[in-house]
Formats: sequence, C-alpha cells, structure tokens
Amino acid sequence: MKPLTRQDLAQFAAAPAADPAEWIRVQLDTGGIAAGAETVYAALEQARAAQPRPFTLLRTGSVGYSFADPVVEVQAAGMPRVHYGCLTPELAPRLLSEHFGAHRLLDDHVIATRRRGLKLDAPVTHLLVGDTGAAASSKTEFFQFSFQEELKRRGLADRVQVVRAFDMGIYDEGAVVQLLPSGVTYTNVLAPDVARIVTDSILGGRVLDDLLWKTPDKQVRIVLRHCGQVDPDSADDYLRRVSGYQALAKALFTLTPEQVIAELKVSALRGRGGAGFPTWMKWQLTRAQPARQRYVICNGDEGDPGAFMDRSVLESDPHTVLEGMMIAAYAMGASQGYFYIRAEYPKAVERIQRALDQARERGLLGKNILGSGFNFDAKIRLGAGAFVCGEETALIASIEGRRGSPSPRPPYPSVRGLWGMPTAINNVETLAIVPAILLQGGAWFASHGTDTSKGTKVFAVTGKVRNAQLVEVPMGTTLREIVFDVCGGVLDGKDIKAVQTGGPSGGVIPNPLLDTPVSYETLQQLGSIMGSGGMLVMDQSDSMVEVAKFYLRFCVDESCGKCAPCRIGGYQLLQVLDRISRGRGAASDIALIHRVCHAMQKASLCGLGQTAPNPVLSTLRYFGEEYQAFIEGGPSYARKAGKAAAAKPTGATTPPIPVPVPAKEASS
Amino acid sequence: MKTIPTGSGSETSAADLKHCDEAGLIEMLDKVEQKHGFIPRDISDEVARLLEVKLERLRRIQGKLDSTIRRDVQQHVSHWRNEEGNLIMILHAIQNQHGYIPREVAMELSRELGVKLARIYEVITFYHYFKLVPPGAHSLTVCNGTACYLKGSGDLINEVRAQLGIAEGQTTADRQIHFDTVRCIGCCGMAPAMVVDGKTCGHVKTSDIPGQVAVLKAKKEKVA
Repeated sequence: MKPLTRQDLAQFAAAPAADPAEWIRVQLDTGGIAAGAETVYAALEQARAAQPRPFTLLRTGSVGYSFADPVVEVQAAGMPRVHYGCLTPELAPRLLSEHFGAHRLLDDHVIATRRRGLKLDAPVTHLLVGDTGAAASSKTEFFQFSFQEELKRRGLADRVQVVRAFDMGIYDEGAVVQLLPSGVTYTNVLAPDVARIVTDSILGGRVLDDLLWKTPDKQVRIVLRHCGQVDPDSADDYLRRVSGYQALAKALFTLTPEQVIAELKVSALRGRGGAGFPTWMKWQLTRAQPARQRYVICNGDEGDPGAFMDRSVLESDPHTVLEGMMIAAYAMGASQGYFYIRAEYPKAVERIQRALDQARERGLLGKNILGSGFNFDAKIRLGAGAFVCGEETALIASIEGRRGSPSPRPPYPSVRGLWGMPTAINNVETLAIVPAILLQGGAWFASHGTDTSKGTKVFAVTGKVRNAQLVEVPMGTTLREIVFDVCGGVLDGKDIKAVQTGGPSGGVIPNPLLDTPVSYETLQQLGSIMGSGGMLVMDQSDSMVEVAKFYLRFCVDESCGKCAPCRIGGYQLLQVLDRISRGRGAASDIALIHRVCHAMQKASLCGLGQTAPNPVLSTLRYFGEEYQAFIEGGPSYARKAGKAAAAKPTGATTPPIPVPVPAKEASS
Repeated sequence: MKTIPTGSGSETSAADLKHCDEAGLIEMLDKVEQKHGFIPRDISDEVARLLEVKLERLRRIQGKLDSTIRRDVQQHVSHWRNEEGNLIMILHAIQNQHGYIPREVAMELSRELGVKLARIYEVITFYHYFKLVPPGAHSLTVCNGTACYLKGSGDLINEVRAQLGIAEGQTTADRQIHFDTVRCIGCCGMAPAMVVDGKTCGHVKTSDIPGQVAVLKAKKEKVA
C-alpha cells in the first residue's frame, strides 16, 4: 500500500466520505459480545439476504449503553435514527421487515435519543412513550393505548406510530413522550394531555411549553466522540469519515512541538488516570530532558474493578488513542511508543494491534510520517494481572520484563523512565482527548468544566444503579446528576447510601454529599479521589464495613510486598476489620485503624500502599456508626447483619429452576 | 557364551528377558533366585544390558521431547529476540500455547535467553495471570469485581464451591473443571457476571449455577 501523504489527508478533510444512506451499526465491544452481539450480527447478516432494499451492516464499538447490550443503531430512509437495545437474534428478521419495510419501530427496544429538540421542525412520524417512574413501566401501555385511540379518532393512525420505549433517558418524570424525528420531549404527561399533544403538536406543529423538557442532556462527548460511530477495525473509516489523523497532520505541518504543548496548556488538560497531573507539564518535562531517545507510554492497565472506560475506548476507537499518542510523541520528541494493556482485555489488544498494523501499512507509523520527517513507531506490551502495574514506575518495570515493583520517585519517569530514558506515561482517556484539543482548540476544551478541572470526564457508573453505563460529563457535574439524571438512580427504587469513586484507592461519598460537583479537588477533600473513573452506586442494604473489607482485601492481595508499611500494614488492617465484622472488635480498634492507616499513607513507597487505607478511612468517616454497631453489638449483631445480607441477594427470591441432575457422572 | 552349571537354558531365558516388562523381569529374577539360590552372572549381565538399552530408549524419547520444547521455545524467543524486555511477552506466548507454564519450558527458556531460572520464576509468580499448574479441561470463572460483588458474586462463589466441592483457584480431582475468580472482566453493565469456558454470562443468579455446573460435567462425559 502506498504511504499516505499530506495531500491525501488534506483531500480526506476536504471531501469526507458520506455515510451510506441506510445502515445498521452493531456495537461489538466486549460487553456487547458477551450479551450476544455477534449472534445478532450474524442473524442480521442472514436476514439481509431476504431483504429487498440493500443496506450496509457495520461493526462499531460501544456507545456506552451497557445496560441495554446488545445495542444496534439503525438509519433508514424516512425514519428517525434510533438505537435499539436488548436485541436477540430472533428479533433480527422482524427488525428488518418492520423498520426498513413497514417503517415501524419495534416496541420495548428503542432507546430514546438524548438529543432533545425544542422545536417541531419536521412532521411527527413516531411517538415514543415510556413511564419513567421507578416502579417499572406500569403506565406505558396505558399511554400507548390512549395515544393510539386518539390518533385513530383523528385519522392519523397510519401516519404516526406509537412505540413503547425501552429507555427514555429521563427518570422519575412520570410518563414521558418523545416526538420523532424532531426529538421534542414532553414529561409528566397526564391522561388529559394526550388529546392536547395530538391536536397541538402532531396536527398543529406547536410545541406545548408547559410539558416541554428543556434541560439539555448532561453529557458532552469528547473522549467518546467516535465510540459507536466508527468501525474500530478500519483505518479507512476513521480517516475518511470522521477526519481521522487530521490533528496529527495539523501538528506535524503547522505547529512546532512547543506550540502543541502550549495548546495543551491552554486546554488545561490534566491526566485522566487519577492523579490529575497537568498533561502539558508532563510533556514539557519529558521534552526538556536531554536524551538520545524518549518514550511515550499509553497506560491501558485498567485494574480498578468496576471500571471499563479504558477498555471501551480502546475497543471502540483505537485509532484516536494512537493518534493522540503520536501527537504526544511529536510534542516531546519521542520516537517509540508502547501500549500497555491488560491481558484480560483480549479484544482491546486485538483492535489496537490491528490499528497499529493498518497505520504502519499506510505510512502513518514508521519513518518520515506523511513526509514530515517525523519518525515514530508503537508496540503493544501486555499486562499480566497486577494492579500495582498501573503505577508509573511499576508499569515501566513490567514493560522492561521484570516484576512490577514500584521504585521510589524521584527520579520521575519524565527524567529517567523506561530503559533509563525520559518517558511520559499517559492514560488512554488523556490521549483520546488530545486530537480533539488540537482540532478544536485548547480554549474550546477549557470552556467545559470547572476552574481547576477543565473538560469532560468519562465515568463507568455501575453497581446498584438502574442503567449501568458509560457517562461522559463536563467536570463540575454533581454526583447526584450523574447517578440520578443520567443513569436513572438506584436499582429497584431503593434509597442511595453512597457512591464509591476511584476504585480501591478511592473512598465513598455518602448520600448527603452527592451534590458535590465532581473535580479532582472536591473529591480529594471528601476523602476520595477521581481515580480513573469507576463509580459504584451502593444502596441501603450494603454494609460499609464489608465494602471497606472488600477493597482492602483487594489491595492486600495486590500489594507487591516490597515495602513494609503496605505489606504488613495492609494485612494487619484487614485482620482488624475482619475482627470487627465478626463482632469481636474492641473500642480501641478504631484508634488502631487510624494509626495503621496513617502509617501506610505516610510511609508506603507507591500509590497503592498510600491510598489503600482510603476506603477504610472514608467509610469510617461517614459511616462510623456502622463500625460502632459491630463493635458494640458483638457477635450476635454480626451474625444478624450477616443473615440480613444473605437474605437479600440476587436469585434468592426467584424459585430455583429445575436442573438436570448430572446422573452417573461420578462413575465415568 | 558359557552355560550355567545347573543346566538351565540361560540363552532362552535371556531371549525371554527382552520381552519382559519390569514386573516380569522381577518375577523371573525371583524364580531364578529361588531355583539356584543366587542369580547367575550371565543372567544378571543380560538384565543389566537390557536395562541399559531401555534407558537409552527413554533418553532418546526424552531428547525428542526436549528438542520439541527447545524448538517451541526457540520459536517464541526468535519472535521477540531483538526486543528489550521481552520476557513477559514470551511468557504470554508460552502460556497461550500450553495453558500454563511448564517447568521444563521455563528451564529451556532460561537456557535460551541466558536469564537465570530464578529471574523467570520471579516474574511468573509475581503476575496473577501466569499459571504454574495445568488448568482443567473446562473453566468456570466468577467475576469478583466491585460491581459484581455488590450484586452478589459472593453468593455465586459459595454456590459454585458447594456444587464443585472445591475452592476458587482449584481444579476438580478429575482435572475437568477449573474454578477461579477474577478481578474484573469489564462487563460491569451485566453484573454479576461469570465466564464459562470463555463464554461470558451476565445477570447470573445463584439458581443458575447448578445448571451451568451440570452442563460442564456433561461435557466431561463426552470427553471421557
């Protein structure tokens, strides 16, 4: 293949390839595939043969709706573009015949668009209805019926279809109606409003101001801008359709490395891996260090349990991360990059490897890239299941093929890193933001967010939440907005107890403090950290002592054992917590916990040991009475608490399914 | 060849010896000893010679095995020869091939790379991903990430323990089912999750476990 040149890229930018007229995008990331997206894809492909109108079947990454996997997005002529969730292979033929043939949407699978219109700029063709109360969709069918009857009365039944939605993206706002294709959304619709909506909005084309949902979507997609939009396995798709590698071309031909760093300084981008170190400064420090070789590393060792942002970005948009890495390399004068990715993410590894191969074929990696004289190449290194390897110095040791033990800093990696050379380590998300900053300007990026934390942040909201999903919001959005407005609040309508951020290094934030705007500083003040962006929602039935124990056990297991405060302190702390949770704790234990935690925070060598006490300290700070209850209640209380916990869990309420008894297996 | 004074046909017995296995040899030697009160020199010589032949054959088999291992290891190493810090990537390749890292392979790798065996084991034992014992024919892995934990993975683990009679990290006695827990498989949207023979199942209930285990056990019957 002929290497691409500057002119080729300019041509791609001038005349981007258009979307095909009709397509279906199947979202094939690990989560989607686990939920059966591959079989849905196969079924769609099979059903396509019987379809009279041709359409393009595309493979993309995930847009982030994990709760609805497998998700497909459909574009057909004369139809609003919609996402369908929770598809099955059996539904595939029906989806094609209904959506493409009869121009009808499928009931109970449509995910309402988050783009909410304020003007009725097109005649209504479809009406999505959904009851957004916490207690299931009891009124959805009533409203569907009412609208259908009203439309029939007006003779509109064959012009407008009323569809039960799977998810409206608005929660606890009563019955919600969305008019497609304009996206005008009415909330708290009552039975008498049905006739009004039909008369005024559908027939008259007027928006009903009293019902209109004016709040724009909280989400701003910068990191996730291409996720679910591009084919992660195709460099051409990235290059031609979404102006891929244009930021790289801009950097190589119109900016000096200093200007790139200056642009990042304007954007005030801070590392998205958790610590929040200014990215421009990291690059500048690395650049300032005299050396014959510098390295740039993409940290994709997403070890936090409950977090999957990096996996999603690597799987859904690998070329953007690579482009970001190349810009970083150009800015700091590095010629070699490494992707350090968990071996537990085979799909991410596969897609990054393909992206690297494709980029190399097109001359985007190698010598004299695009004829600019800039040389760069990148390789993949696999992690091997060690949480501590997310720490910079441990990560470097692991890439060097050694045990992932951290080493004391300074010297920082920007001075002496991989093979003793200056090295900059950036998180996946950080690198994915970089091309957007170069294309749209640092000031644009800095216009999002708060004074100290600019831009947007991706969170993986999971746990006891109604809609577990990837969320990208501007910094400064409150936790309550993220959990309740975007993700629909707590599962089964229970009360929220706390939100845990930052994984095993973070802490819990109790319900009364959920109105805190999210930023690096505010979370730190609350005794938690931003971390890489895992966000766990806990309801009233979760025991905080158990949660603290869970995280601490994780850190004890993952401690590399090099320094005593972490190795011994963590173990002892776990013993104390275990004692308390069995009701054998003493009143003095609380003071003991504080002492051990303090020692670990002050004396541990690396971030793992320094932050391991965070979950314990923050639960103690906000839920001290739970610890007290265990200590004062003694073993009988602990047993009761344990029983209560054992009574609630999943599956216990459903009758056991009869299972074929494995007969005679013992004899074989 | 001189004949034994007691007149027994040692030539024939020597010829028989060739076809004897260890138990047969011992039996024959016992008989000869009972008969003569001692083991005649030419018989003992013959046995010694045969043993030598057998050992030689074993050594050749071992050598064959060794050379296969060597070839495999060389293949993996040649792929990463010029890379600095290649050890972990080579170990990944080995584990992908064997399912674990056999000791002989690690020893061969040590010779091939010129790295001390202790250094290699230092790395293998540090990382959770590398295994030192062969995994079972089938695997059942329960995710114990935080999201799954909150949604009751602890009960799933207890149920699997009860069903299989083994703890996590262990393999059933017949080496058929390997049970393990994992930090997080990144499918938190469908917690609690479980991976059965590479297939991820989401929203698992405790009541699903006996069925899953039964399916795995049924598979085993097919294999056997």
